[in-house]
Amino acid sequence: MAKKKFQAAPVKKGAAAGGGGMNKAVVLTILAALVPFSLPTVVLLAFTMLPTIGAWASERGNNKYAWLCVGGLNFAGVIPYLFGLWFGVHTLDEAFNLLSEAGVLLWAYGASGIGWLLYTAMPPMVSSWLSFTTDRRVAALKAAQKRLVEDWGDQVVKKGHN
Amino acid sequence: MLRDRFTIRSNQPLPEFSTPNAEAFVAEDKRDPKRALYALICRPDMPVRVNVMRALKGMLNPGLVQLVEWGAMTWSPAGRQCMTVIYERPIGKRLMAGPRSPECRRVDEYDISRKVVEPLVAAIKELTNRGITHRSIRASNLFFMDEGGERIALGDCATAPPAYDQPMAFETVESGMANNVARGSGSFSDDLYSLGVTLVFLLLGRNPVAHMDDEALLKMKIQQGSYSTLVGDERLPLAFIELLRGLLCDDPDQRWDIESLDLWLSGRRLSPLQQRHEKRAARGFPFNGKEYLNCRELAAAMSRSWDLAIPPVLEGKLELWLRRAVEDKERAQAVADVVRMALNGGDKRVVADLMLCKVLIMLDPTAPIRYKGFNSMPDGVGSALAAVMAQKGDTKLLAEVILREVPRLWFEARKSYLPDNSLMDSNFKELKGYLTQTGLGFGLERCLYEMNDALPCQSTLLGEEYIVELKELLPALNAAAAKRTDSKQWPVDRHVAAFMGARARSDIDRNLVQLNDSEPSRSLMALLNLFAVFQYRLGPEQLPNLAAWVGALAQPAVAAFHSREKRKELEKELPKLVRRGSVVEIYNLLDNPGERDKDQSEFAWAQAQYQAAEEEIRRVQNNEDDRGKEAVRIGKQTAAVTGIVIALLSTTITVIMKVW
Repeated sequence: MAKKKFQAAPVKKGAAAGGGGMNKAVVLTILAALVPFSLPTVVLLAFTMLPTIGAWASERGNNKYAWLCVGGLNFAGVIPYLFGLWFGVHTLDEAFNLLSEAGVLLWAYGASGIGWLLYTAMPPMVSSWLSFTTDRRVAALKAAQKRLVEDWGDQVVKKGHN
Repeated sequence: MLRDRFTIRSNQPLPEFSTPNAEAFVAEDKRDPKRALYALICRPDMPVRVNVMRALKGMLNPGLVQLVEWGAMTWSPAGRQCMTVIYERPIGKRLMAGPRSPECRRVDEYDISRKVVEPLVAAIKELTNRGITHRSIRASNLFFMDEGGERIALGDCATAPPAYDQPMAFETVESGMANNVARGSGSFSDDLYSLGVTLVFLLLGRNPVAHMDDEALLKMKIQQGSYSTLVGDERLPLAFIELLRGLLCDDPDQRWDIESLDLWLSGRRLSPLQQRHEKRAARGFPFNGKEYLNCRELAAAMSRSWDLAIPPVLEGKLELWLRRAVEDKERAQAVADVVRMALNGGDKRVVADLMLCKVLIMLDPTAPIRYKGFNSMPDGVGSALAAVMAQKGDTKLLAEVILREVPRLWFEARKSYLPDNSLMDSNFKELKGYLTQTGLGFGLERCLYEMNDALPCQSTLLGEEYIVELKELLPALNAAAAKRTDSKQWPVDRHVAAFMGARARSDIDRNLVQLNDSEPSRSLMALLNLFAVFQYRLGPEQLPNLAAWVGALAQPAVAAFHSREKRKELEKELPKLVRRGSVVEIYNLLDNPGERDKDQSEFAWAQAQYQAAEEEIRRVQNNEDDRGKEAVRIGKQTAAVTGIVIALLSTTITVIMKVW
């Protein structure tokens, strides 16, 4: 029985890894194909979205949500300049000009920093909230128990026979 | 004062009317002060014959001193209530000064039929019609009712157990063998035998057997027959020989009955009965240093020396004697069978005792039940038990008699079927059932009241009260409640419970079993139920002291309700009902099945709720780690969603600004 389980697990893991690799390859191929047509965008995004990539690469474990939070704010900082590029001069020079402006990088990286702050602060806040609601629930339950003892005496604490 | 009518003068004793167990005093009737009466004050430790008192009260019979009234009365010299019986006071004296006196008044042979036989036969007839026996017919209990000595009547027979005061001479052989407290009510035939002996005394004017002790007299009656023992060579009028032979016949089946007496009184002469003697053995049976030549005598001797009697029977000597010396092979075989069964039996001591009891019955089937020195007629066990318990004696032997079904052995040995025997046998079976249960309402006390239907309740709770009927019990407890000192004491003890069980017309054994429940609330409810039923059926409507007593004990019943609100409500309601003196209402308040079920189900629901809350608190408090992980996951997800939303918003705003 144990042997069967031991054999089954690697097979499943291998299949899942194969599927994921294939998808990633397809996405990378499509992106690579698009590069010649939107090189300025790619350049701008490649440099301004570095914190997002860093967040994605640095986080371990099952719940990898940092890149979404950091990435969201990072993108929010970049999007006005990206629109400027798209609706202005969509060239590689313009892209590098933008990258050379301190304000662009400051917005992009500053926003991602806020994202990190948000991502770091949110779990303790949620924990405090949960703790607060739990304590209230326990207090309410104990109050109910006290009322039962007052109404029915100490015998009510004992488990019923039925 | 008895029944607010008869005054008994404790300073005016009448020793000439006293009986061996009851002292006589002058009594006065308020309604008729000239009426000559005397009262007999019964001994408190002696069971009296209340059923006889009931039957005799007011009965006018020339052969009986009239019993005017009876009842329990506070008797100050004794410091308690005593049964008192008031009789019409005879003008003359007793015909014989005392039971053991050698002399008595002689009644002329020409007068004796008119003065003694006719009235006494009429009296016995009347008693028989009322279903009772006198059992105190003796010369010393006959009174001259007038100055001229024309009317003779029988005195008291109700202040002691049946035949308790009867000298051996006046009792049949069988009754004489029984302990005097256990002679039983017997039958009219026993009364007729006593009448026969009384006639012998009166005809002779003396006690012909005064020189003999009881043992010698019994032995002689067995050996020579009662007639020969009492009359012997005395010369009696011929007509009376026939009568006395008929009355003193030792075989109860042949003894004269009322019809024969009527025939004799009407002048018809019957052929005198010939005495049949017990078969004599060819050689004597040596036992305890003596030799016995007939079975009856041997059985009587063996019953007197119980332990010595067992070995020769077990060794087969008795069987051999019966076979060879008595030449009664049938009886010998029966004894051999009983002995063989005993040798194969279990507990040797018990089996040997029962074996000897059976063998004695075989040797003398008409004798009383004889077991380890206790000799009793079957209907005398009750009065014997009452006397032993009243005198605080050892009841072990009597309990053994009932538990080992000794009377059954006696009933099984009867040759002919008698409905009375069958009834008594089934009663003894019931008594065994009561005795095997040890709780309140059962045991020997229950047997006591079952066997003595007129015995007053012996409970110490009732103090000096004389309670014979169930309807008197609650008022007596109500009176006792006012005097109680121990607030935790229950208004019931072994005697009260047994008295209720025996006297209640309906079967209350189920309630009595509940009364012994280890759960105080259940036992209290059982007691309240009994008291409530008795108060409802028998009254009185108000028993304030008893209600206060049970009200004070009601805590377990109140506590049986789980709801505190309900308890408060009951505690508030109880004092009101106590003031009303109604045990019935207290019971109804505490025993409301609907309320109790509701309380129970609501309590179960509350318990479930408490447990659910407890479970949830435990679950919440035990999942600290999980909650931390959950908080981190939710926090990260929230942050991610927030990031995405901000991205979307900024994109939207940028698009809108560009388009405008």
